[in-house]
Amino acid sequence: MQNKRSMMLKIASKTAMVFMCAFLLAATSGCSSARSDLRATGGVYDPLEPMNRGVFAFNNALDRAVIEPVARVYNFLTPDFFRAGVQNFMRNLRAPLVVANNILQGDVKGAGVATARFVMNTVGGIGGLFDFAAAHGLPYEPEDFGQTLAVWGFGEGFYLVLPVLGPSSLRDSAGLAVDTLADPVRLYAFNRNEEWIYYTRGAVEGLDNRARMVGAVNDMRRNSLDYYAAVRSAYTQKRRSLVRDTNPEAPKAKAVQYYDEGWE
Amino acid sequence: MTTFSLTRRVMMLGMAFAMLMPAAAMAQKKTDPAVAFVQKMGDAALTELTDKGLKGAEREKRVRDLLRKNFDVQTIGRAALGTHWRSATEAQRKEYLSLFEDMIVRTYAQRFGEYTGQQFKVNSSKPTTNARDTIVSSQVIQQGGPPLLIEWRVRNNDGQYKVIDVFIENISMMITQRSDFDAVIQRNGIDGLLDSLRKRQK
Repeated sequence: MQNKRSMMLKIASKTAMVFMCAFLLAATSGCSSARSDLRATGGVYDPLEPMNRGVFAFNNALDRAVIEPVARVYNFLTPDFFRAGVQNFMRNLRAPLVVANNILQGDVKGAGVATARFVMNTVGGIGGLFDFAAAHGLPYEPEDFGQTLAVWGFGEGFYLVLPVLGPSSLRDSAGLAVDTLADPVRLYAFNRNEEWIYYTRGAVEGLDNRARMVGAVNDMRRNSLDYYAAVRSAYTQKRRSLVRDTNPEAPKAKAVQYYDEGWE
Repeated sequence: MTTFSLTRRVMMLGMAFAMLMPAAAMAQKKTDPAVAFVQKMGDAALTELTDKGLKGAEREKRVRDLLRKNFDVQTIGRAALGTHWRSATEAQRKEYLSLFEDMIVRTYAQRFGEYTGQQFKVNSSKPTTNARDTIVSSQVIQQGGPPLLIEWRVRNNDGQYKVIDVFIENISMMITQRSDFDAVIQRNGIDGLLDSLRKRQK
């Protein structure tokens, strides 16, 4: 009985994966017909803009009411070294995913660095609390499955604002789903029926990320006329730069044409 | 001397070159005028703008002077308007450029007003596809956090250097502004943009 159920689940999840891939392929290749819209959105394809703006407004309200105040209190109450320790620990927990994505991208050197970092920081950095490896010339390089998909030739698809999680794209959301499924912390917590570990980790990671961006977010809110459009542009530029760093040769054609319009 | 074999001589020559190369590269980095320009601008900004006792209006005046001296505001403003520059009337263009400059002045005056002892370090430069432009890379070193990567796209106009774009952690301020302005123009037209910019002045 148990066996049959797990079998069914496996088939169901495989089918879901196939559908997702097909959808992703169709969506990321099909957007070329709508390229004329690109100029209208500052180089970002955003056919779901009305819905995205709604989710963005919701996220923004939630952020102002709860998340930002909590992040400010956290920044105020904790010393710098404590927050650095939290970030190092959180990054170390994700290191296996970074290694896996480096391998999937065919980046042997990156995989080696990420593995060395994981070992050094877990052992020498006391369970990852200190970034011992960065002090020895092996700095942190973020890699996720969204970037891996980009290396494999998938386009961004379209811009997507996720509830609570914020700016993303079709490709990056699919990447996030895969990273979440493969996340060792999640697998460990769910196998032991200790889901709280997973949710606590998520909350702390979110708080750590948000607390680091208090200044930048404020600056953007103050200095943009259309906050949604400014964030959309900034997010997309940042992701493109991460993909370019990962594989500088691949998406040259997609590299932003900076001074194409109104430029001498 | 004559006992040295040819391979040995070649090897020694190679080694001599290998030792000279980094020195040559460093010397070139030091003398890159674009790098020197950014360093000088950063130093001037830190000495002139970070004084806590500075009054708001005085700080804005100093920011404006530094901005006009070091940034090609007209070129940046034009680029930030994108294709809409072409459809704008002469009067709209003129008002837009003046409002655009005011906005940048306010933004930077605010940022420098919140200065808390960060250090500015200029690192290296790299060429772009445009022969006149160089990207100068720098870092803002802050306490209790990783350094912030800031790159300056510097244009050489017959030996006179001006910043034409600033990238903060790989995000171009000009492109972000262009998307921002474009969203406003899509809804409310160029007059709508000018209106929004005017409201920001209060």
